[in-house]
Parts: sequence; structure tokens; C-alpha cells
Amino acid sequence: MEEALLRAVLFGTPLLLASLGALVSERSGVVNLGVEGIMALSALAAFGVALGAGPYLGLLAGVGTGVLGGMVLGLFAVTLRANQFVAGLAVAALGLGASGLLGKRYEGLPLEWTLPEGGMALLALFLAFSLHHFLYRTRFGLYLRSVGENPKAADLFGVSVDGVRYGALALGGGLIGLAGAYLSLAYRPSWTDGMTAGLGWVAIALVILAAWEPLRAVLGAYLFGLLFFLQFRLQGSVPIPSEAFAAMPYLLVILVLALSGRARAPKALGAPFERGR
Amino acid sequence: MRRLLAFLLAALGLSLAQGEKLKACFIYVGPIGDAGWTYAHDLGRKKAEAALPWLETRYVESVPEAQALPVMDRLVREGCQVIFATSFGYGEAVLEAAKKYPEVIFAHATGLKRAPNVATYMADFYQVYYLNGLAAGALTKTGKVGYVAAFPIPEVKRHINAFTLGVRAVNPKAQVLVRWINAWYDPAKAREATEALLAQGADVFAFTEDTPTVIQTAARKGAYSFGHYTPMQKFAPDHVVSGQIVHWDVIYMDFLKKVKEGVYTAKNLENVDYFWLLQHKAVEVGGDYGVPINPKHVPLLRKAQMTVGDKKVSVYERTMALLKDMSSPRPTFDPFTGPIKDRKGVVRIPAGRKASLQELLTMEWAAPGVVGDWPGEPK
Repeated sequence: MEEALLRAVLFGTPLLLASLGALVSERSGVVNLGVEGIMALSALAAFGVALGAGPYLGLLAGVGTGVLGGMVLGLFAVTLRANQFVAGLAVAALGLGASGLLGKRYEGLPLEWTLPEGGMALLALFLAFSLHHFLYRTRFGLYLRSVGENPKAADLFGVSVDGVRYGALALGGGLIGLAGAYLSLAYRPSWTDGMTAGLGWVAIALVILAAWEPLRAVLGAYLFGLLFFLQFRLQGSVPIPSEAFAAMPYLLVILVLALSGRARAPKALGAPFERGR
Repeated sequence: MRRLLAFLLAALGLSLAQGEKLKACFIYVGPIGDAGWTYAHDLGRKKAEAALPWLETRYVESVPEAQALPVMDRLVREGCQVIFATSFGYGEAVLEAAKKYPEVIFAHATGLKRAPNVATYMADFYQVYYLNGLAAGALTKTGKVGYVAAFPIPEVKRHINAFTLGVRAVNPKAQVLVRWINAWYDPAKAREATEALLAQGADVFAFTEDTPTVIQTAARKGAYSFGHYTPMQKFAPDHVVSGQIVHWDVIYMDFLKKVKEGVYTAKNLENVDYFWLLQHKAVEVGGDYGVPINPKHVPLLRKAQMTVGDKKVSVYERTMALLKDMSSPRPTFDPFTGPIKDRKGVVRIPAGRKASLQELLTMEWAAPGVVGDWPGEPK
């Protein structure tokens, strides 16, 4: 039992970090579908730097790459006012492709010094509470939420909508970068093309599951982690085919989504802001 | 005039290509990656190209099964004379392409269906898994050996069975706990499946999937493991005992040489099926090249005893003796020698004979000692 809870937290951690990253930008009104690609690139950057300079600089490199990834999305989705969904998908594809290409020479290398998973899990939890505090108890959090709800009003009150959105994307990118670094430095200390294996998409779904609330994202990520572990823990000991178990975490997410119908997205989510329109 | 010139140039190009180089092209189902299936095929391709001066190769990676036919169309247009399709799922596309291009030679890895211009090939690990099973049986203290497996298909089942027969030959009460992850490549699933097995008391691990995740995860808890497909000792030098290593280059070079010499043509491949084993040097035992057993673990395996016939021998000696026998041109030992019953008590291989190739290729039953879900298990 303790084992299952431990796995829930340790596998839930990269999901939690990535979904917090997607969440913070969505609260400012920008959908980030680039999570998978940003995570892959950050995982690569973290691994590449960690090989030569140790895991903590690697971690920094991962976060930095995530911030950069968020800014690239901002360039398209905020400054150029492109369709956010298309821009996000482009960043996802670009990140995955670029990481595969740039990462060729890092494939198959073992990493001597890794990051402690437990410490990273605590950090993620701390970040979730901090983000909650930031969104609801600080002035900048208020700006961020108001830009996501009603950018026109925020603009009238002198808040720079584009500035806030860039900030949210950078912060979110950093969190996604942390998730990538967790994967390549702690969870599975190595680099391979495609090692994110869809976790970025799960993180995006978790944002909706969490109704855009950081603390609910904690529960969602851990719940997914728990079910993901249980599919293997229970396989063979109950007369249910393994394929059904494999579908369980995803089915549950859909179920919870259907039941939590009252969850409300930020009003301006997905809409590019242009003054005077 | 321009068309004639183009034709002449093309003809010249073609004759030059034929006179000088044989162009062989490879279709990979995944990215080349760091350690898995596709990586091993690509290693084979590179070795063949380095060894055969008349060979020119090209590859396309990450080709989904539905895209295989268009990719083959393109490769034929680019002048590929031999096409290696390296995934079971390409089967139908290969047969279709072979009909469309009767002059091109195709070879389908792990395939079952052949044609005049389609050969099949496989480098199989079942003997190697048996040998690793012996060591696993000797090393487990809990009597529970973990096995993380990709898909419940005959190839993987054959390997789990061979491994389990080995485990049980040393430790008749040991169990092999199997977990299916239903993916060839998914580090998160491999990790959590290993964690689940660790939680259930497994202390030695083998696997059939494409990442070193099982090794890394097991090593964190001090559990032994066996590498798969490529040298994986480097991922946990103190905990990897041995493993399975493939040498596709051996098959690729043999096949391509025979094509070059005209032994194989696009008309006579109907019965060309490579099912290459230890004796052909297509597979190797070890966590690294030339290291059948990690020297760190040799003393333990020398101490461990097992009964063969009515004699006691050390597991190390037995492993090395069988390895020598199965690597010889005429092996006398085979892991699947009857009488073998499945875990339900049904006789699968009668006393006095070895499993036939057909029986190996269609193996669905589970050996005694295998514990866990087993999709497709015969009644």
C-alpha cells in the first residue's frame, strides 16, 4: 500500500509539474499545447548539461530551455496573435523533432549522478502550493487571472496583457522544463528520442481535470500516477485482461472530466488579445 | 532530344550503380534510439556497410506500419535493389510491394510469409534466455523473478518460457512473475511495471522491451538484471549479470553476399528463412560484447549448485558448457526438449524430441512457473 502511494507521488511528479506549467499559462488566457515538445527539449538539455556539469546545472538548463520554449510559443501566440492551438501543436512537433535530432549523440549514455526523486517530488508539491498562493494572494496573480478572464478590462486598468501572458508562458515553460529534467535526470536517468512518451498530453488533460486549480492538479496527477502503477501491480492478480488495465488511468480521467462538468475555463482562454477589438 | 538524353543518363546511372554497388535499404519501425530493436538493426546495417565495399545502404526510421508501402514505393524509385523491412507489422505491405516490384528483393524480419522475392529472417534469443534463466534461478533469494514483457505474442512467450525453464532447472520452486506493458517503447510503463514487481518481492529481472529502464529501476533497489538486445551492462555495472545481444550484421552480410553472388535472386526466395541462433553467431550471451557473465557475479554462480541428471554441477559451469554446446555447429542441447508440460499440465513437447521450428514460432502456452496474466493461453 505505501508502495502504491509512493509510486503515485513519484510518477505523479512530472505530470504535476507539467500540468502546473500548462495551467499557469492557461490562467492568463493562452492554451499551451506545446507541453510535450517543450518537455522533450528540456529533458535533452538537462541531460546534456548534467553529463558534463552535474545534475543541478542540468536541472537549471532544463528550466531555462522550458522558459525559452514558452517564449517561442509566446512569439506566435501573443505577439503574432496566431491561433493558439496551431501554434502550440507546432511547438510540440518542433520540440519533439529538434530534441530527436540534437539528441542523437546523447542516446544510450548512462548518467553517473542523478537527482533524488523524493527531493524533486517535495519541490513539485511546494511549487503547487506556491502557485496557488501566487494566483490568489498576490497582486501579480490577480493581474494574471484578470488577463485570462477579461483582457480588455485588464488592459483598461493599465495591465500589459501581452507582458502578463509572456510572463505566464515563461513561468509555465520553466515548470514544464522542470518536468522534463525530472524525467531525464531522476525518473529514468538517460536520454532517448521520444522519452516523454505522451506524458505532456496527459498533463494538458490534467489541467482540465483540475479545473485550472493548482491544488486540484496535485490530486489529479497523483491519482493518475496511482492508477498507472496499479495497472501493473494488479495485473494477473485479478481476472481482468491487461489491456483493460492499461486503459484504466485514461478512462478514469475521462470519467472525472464528465462528472466535473461545472469546471469553468478562464473566459478569454484561446483568444488572442488585440487592443481596440 | 531532352527526353532521350535523360533516358541515356538514367541508363548510364543504372548500369554504373549495378556495376559498382548494391543498394540495400532499411525500413525501421521506430527511431534508432539508444538500445532497442531499431538501434540493433541500424548497428547491423552500419557493420555490413563497413565490411562490404560494394554495398551502399540507406534507411528510413520511424515508419508507421500504414506508411510502409508508400515508403517502399519511394525506395524502389530511388534505386534500392534489396529492401529490409524490420518490423513484423510490415508483413502485408511487404507482400504487396513484392508483387508490385517483382525485380526487387525483399526481406522481412520476424515475418512468416514468403514469396519468390520475399525472404524472412530472425535472430532468435530463446537459447540465450534459457542460459540467463539458469543464472536468475541461482541468484534469486525470494524465489521470485520479475519479467517485464512488451506484447503477448509467440516470440515473447517463447522467450519467457525458455527463461522460465532455465530458472526452474536451477530452482524448481521459483516463480517468474510476468507483467505485460503492451508497448515496445514506453519508459514510464517499464518503470512502473518494474516497481510493481519489486513491491511483490521480485529480486532478479529479465525483460523484453526496448529500453534499459528495467535495469536502471532494479539497480536502485539492488536487484540483479539481464540486459536485452544491446549491451546494457553500462547502465548498472554492478547489477547486470548477463543478457541477450543480437548481431543482425551476421544475417545482413550473409544475405547480401548471396544476393551479390547471384545465389539469391528475386525468383528463388520462397524457401529462404533465416532462424539464426547461437551456432550462427547471430546472437550472443552477455551484458556486453565478449562478456558472457559479468565477472563480478561469477563467484556467486560458481558457488550455486544445480542437479543435472543425477550429478551436481555449479551453475556457472553448466551455463558455460551449454553455451559451448549450443555455439557449436551441431548442438546436442536444446531448451525445448521434451517432455515439457505447460503450466496447466498439458504435454506440449513429447518426450524424446525437440520443439519443431513451427512449434517455436507459434508458441502460445505458458511454462510451469510462469505466474501472471497470459493472453491467448490455450485451454
